Amino acid sequence: MNRTRLFGWLVATLLVAACGSTGGGGGGNANSYSGKTIKFGAVLSITGAGGVYGPQSRDGAKLAVKEINASGGVNGAQIELTVEDDASDKAQSQQKAQTLITSNNVLAFLGPTLSNSAVAVHPLAESLKTPVLAVSTTGIHIVPDCKFPETTPCKYVFRDSLGEETAIPANIKAYAADSHPKTGVLLVAQDDKFSSDGGTIVQKTVAQYNIDLLKTIPFSKNDADLSPYVTQAVQLKPDVIFITSLGGIPAKIMTAARNQGWQGQFLGGNGFNTATVSKQAGAAGTGARSASAWYIGNEFASNKDFVTAYKNEYSKDPDQFAAQGYTGLKILADAAKRANLTFTDTAGDRDKLRAAIETVNIQSPLGPFQFTSSHDVKQTVWIIQMDGAGGFKLVHEVKAS
Amino acid sequence: MDQQIVNAIFIGSIYALFAVGYTLVFGILDILNLAHSAVFMLGAATTYTLVVKYGQVFWVASVVGIAASALMGLVIEHVCLRPLRRRQAPPIAALISTIGLALIIVAAVEQGKQGSLFSWLWVDGANSVAFPAGTIPNPTWHVADLSLDASKVVIIPVSIALMLVLGYVMRYTQIGRGLRAVAENPRAARLMGLDVDRMITLTLVISSALGGLAGILFGVALGDISPYIGRDNVEVRGLAVIVLGGMGSIPGAVIGGYLLGLVEILAVVTFGSSVRGGVAFAALFLLLILRPQGLFGTRLRERI
Amino acid sequence: MAIGAYVSVLMSNYWHTPGVVSTIAAALLAGVIGFLVGLPVLRLRGVFLAIATIGFIEALRLGVILNVPITGEGLGLSNTRSADPLGAINFILVSLIVIVFVVWRLTKGRLGNAWAAIRQDELAALSQGIDVARYKMIAFVLSALMAGYAGALEAHLFFNIDPGDAQYGVTRAVQVLTFAVLGGSGFVLGPVVGALIITLLPYIFQGAGDYINILAGVFLIAVIVFRPQGIVGRGGLALVRPAWWPKARVSAASPG
Repeated sequence: MNRTRLFGWLVATLLVAACGSTGGGGGGNANSYSGKTIKFGAVLSITGAGGVYGPQSRDGAKLAVKEINASGGVNGAQIELTVEDDASDKAQSQQKAQTLITSNNVLAFLGPTLSNSAVAVHPLAESLKTPVLAVSTTGIHIVPDCKFPETTPCKYVFRDSLGEETAIPANIKAYAADSHPKTGVLLVAQDDKFSSDGGTIVQKTVAQYNIDLLKTIPFSKNDADLSPYVTQAVQLKPDVIFITSLGGIPAKIMTAARNQGWQGQFLGGNGFNTATVSKQAGAAGTGARSASAWYIGNEFASNKDFVTAYKNEYSKDPDQFAAQGYTGLKILADAAKRANLTFTDTAGDRDKLRAAIETVNIQSPLGPFQFTSSHDVKQTVWIIQMDGAGGFKLVHEVKAS
Repeated sequence: MDQQIVNAIFIGSIYALFAVGYTLVFGILDILNLAHSAVFMLGAATTYTLVVKYGQVFWVASVVGIAASALMGLVIEHVCLRPLRRRQAPPIAALISTIGLALIIVAAVEQGKQGSLFSWLWVDGANSVAFPAGTIPNPTWHVADLSLDASKVVIIPVSIALMLVLGYVMRYTQIGRGLRAVAENPRAARLMGLDVDRMITLTLVISSALGGLAGILFGVALGDISPYIGRDNVEVRGLAVIVLGGMGSIPGAVIGGYLLGLVEILAVVTFGSSVRGGVAFAALFLLLILRPQGLFGTRLRERI
Repeated sequence: MAIGAYVSVLMSNYWHTPGVVSTIAAALLAGVIGFLVGLPVLRLRGVFLAIATIGFIEALRLGVILNVPITGEGLGLSNTRSADPLGAINFILVSLIVIVFVVWRLTKGRLGNAWAAIRQDELAALSQGIDVARYKMIAFVLSALMAGYAGALEAHLFFNIDPGDAQYGVTRAVQVLTFAVLGGSGFVLGPVVGALIITLLPYIFQGAGDYINILAGVFLIAVIVFRPQGIVGRGGLALVRPAWWPKARVSAASPG
C-alpha cells in the first residue's frame, strides 16, 4: 500500500508540474474546494459483450481516483466516482446515464464503453448539458457530431480514445507495406455501431493499398453459431481476413478459421486490444494485428508510473482500456482543479468544467495529452500483434501526422 | 458448400435435441414449457461452473449438469404446473408460470458474480464464456476438404441415439404406453389406475434432462455459454421447430430441427446476413396460418 | 410497438412532423397492420395464436427492421431530433389516463359485454348471435393501436431506437404479458397496476437490488398459483388455495 501511495504522489506531482507549465490556467480559490466532494460518474459495460473492456476502464479510473484522493484530492476536495454497469445494452446505458445526471448529480462522467451505446448516451448528455468523456469508443460520429445525422457539433462530448478512422487505416497501411497482401475478406457484425463503422472504414481503405476485397460477410452480434460465416470467408482463400467486431466474437472467428485450415493474416480494430481477447484466441490469434492507442512498454515516466501502480493495485498488467480510463479520470480531475467550481450551482459547475476540459494539457500514460478543436485526441498509434499467450507484441510505431 | 452442409447438420442437431424435449411436454400436457430454454442454459452453466470453478473433469461435470436440469424438471412440475392442474387452469396460465420460472433461473445466473448470492452457481455475470482450452479434448479432423470439430461430430450420434431411445420408449414400453394414455386422455388414464402425476413428472424430468444436455453440447460446440444462450438461440427457434414438425410429434421435431438448421444456413449463403433469423420466423408465421398441423402432422390432435 | 416507434421517429426525421402528428399516424398504421395480421391469425386459438404472433414479431424485427436501410438496420435509428427524455413524461401520463378511461368506457358498453361473453365461453357467445370474429378483431386492432401509440411515445424517451430483443422482441412481449397477468388481465386497471408494481419493485425492495428479476419471477408464479385473476381482480383479497397448502393458514390469510 505504501508503494501505491508513493506512486500516487509521484503522479500527482507530475500533474501539478504539468499544470504549472501551462501557466496554471485555472488559479481558482483553492480554499473553497477543501472538504468538498466532487462527484464524477462512469457508465461502463462491466458485463455483456463489452465485458471484456469495461472492467479495465473502471479499474483504471478507480486507480486514478485513489491516487488523487490519497494525495490531497483536487485542491482539497475528494473525488467520488459512481460506476454504473450498462450490461452492454444501449437502452440501459441511456437510463444509467440519465440516473447519474439527474439523480446522482455528477458534474461529468466517463463512458459509455461501446460506440453502440454512445449514440444514445452522448446526445442525452449534450441535451442535459453535462460533460461526458468517452474513454473507449472509437466509432465514427462520436465527436464532434454526436447527434449524427445532424451536424451541429456537440459541446459537451469529448473523447480520449483513438478513433478507428485513424487506427484501421494505419494498421492496414503498415501490414500492406510489410507483406503486400492481394486479397481480403471482411467479417463484420452489422448490428453493432463500432463493428459496422470499422467495416465501412476497411472497405474505404483497402483499395488504396491494392487489396482486393473479395467479399464482405455481415453477421449479427447475437449469432452464437459463426461457423457458416467463417466457412464462407475461408472458402475464398483470402490473404487477409479483416474482423471488425468486439467481445468474444473475434476470438471465436480466429479459432474457427484456424480449425478450418486457413493460414492467412487477421487484421482488426480496437476490439482486439485487450488481454482478454488475446487470451481467448490463444494460439489461433498469434500474429493477429491491430492498431492500439497505448503500448505497455512505453518508457516515458507518466506511463511507467501508471503501469507500476496498476500492477501493484490489481496484480496484473494494465491494457489500453485501463490506460484510457485512468487518463479519462485524470483529465476530469485536472479540469475540476482549474474550473473554479462553486459546489452549489450544479449546472453552472458543469459549464465551467466543460470549458476547463477543453484546455486540458497533462502528461498521461497515452503521452502528452490535449484535445483537438473537435474534442478528439491526436496521438501516436502503436501497431501491435497478439503473441498467442494472452499478450501483445509491438510491431510498429506510427507518429501522429 | 459441403462444409456449409456440415455446419447445418451440426446446428440442426442441437435444435432437434432441444425441440424434442420441448415437444414431448407439449405432446403430453398440451402445455408450452417456456422454462425449457432456461433449463437448456442451466445445463450448460452448471457444467461450466463445475469445470472451471470446482475443477471437476468435464464428464463428471456434464453428468451433474444433466442431473441439475432434470431436477429443474421436478421444480417445473411441482411449482409451475401441478398447482394449476389441480385447479384446471387454462394452458395459457402454465405458459405464464413457466415464464416466471425462466425469469428466475436466468436472473439467478445473470447475477452470479464474485461476491453475489449466486456466486456458487456462476461467476461470469452477463458475460459469454467458453470452456478453457484443454478441459475438453476437441481435436479437429480433416476429411477430404471438410474440417470436423470432434465436439460437433459427437453431437450427431448422441442426438440421434437419444432420439431413437426416446422413440422406442414411447412406442414399445410400459412407461411409453402410460405416457401416451395420459396424452390421449388424462381422466381415462387415471380411471385405468395410472398414476398420472407420476407420469407427468417423469415427462418433465426426461424433457429437462434432454434440454440440459442440448445446452451442454451447444456450449461445447459453439464455445458460447452465457445466461442468455437459451433465450437468444433456441427459445423461439425451438417453437419454430416444433411447429414445423407438428406440435407434439417427436420425429417431427427431429426433422424440423435439421430442416431449420438447413434453411438458416441456406439463408446465410444466399442472402448472407441476419436475414437468418427472419427467414425462420417468417416461415413459422406462414406455416401456422396455412398449415397449423405442421409439415408432417396429419391431424392436429394426433401426437407422438 | 416497433412499428409505432419506427414510424414516428422516421416521420419526424424525414418530414419534420410535430410529435403529436407522427405519434398519431404511427398508432394508426400499427392499427392497420394489426388488422392485416389479425385476419389470418385470429383463426388460431390459445397457444397457437401466441406462437403465430411471436413468429410475426420476430419476422418483423429480424427479417425486416434489421435488413431495411431506412430503419438503420441493426444499428438502430437516430432520434436526436424529437427525443426529450425529461419532458415527454407528462404527455405520457396524460395519455395513460385518457386511454385507461376510454378503454374502461368501452368495457362498460355493448362492446364490453360481447368481449366478456366471448371470454367466458366462445361457443355460447356464438350461439347467442354474437359475431365472435368481429369482436375479436376489434380487440386485436385496438390493442395494436395502443401498442403503436405506446411505441411512438416511448421512442421520444430515447435518443436512439434500438432493434434489440429487449425493446421489440419476444423478451419485451413477455414483459408486457407479465404486467397484464400480474395486475389482472380482466380489468383495465390491472395491467397498469402490474406495470407499476414491476417497475417499482426495485425501489420498494432497495435491498434486493440486482436480484429484482428473481423477485419478479417469484411474484409472477405466486400470482398465477395463488391468485389467477391477478392482483386487481374479482373476489376482493381472496387467494386460491393450492392442494398442497395447509388449510388453516390460508383461511387466516384471506379475510375476504
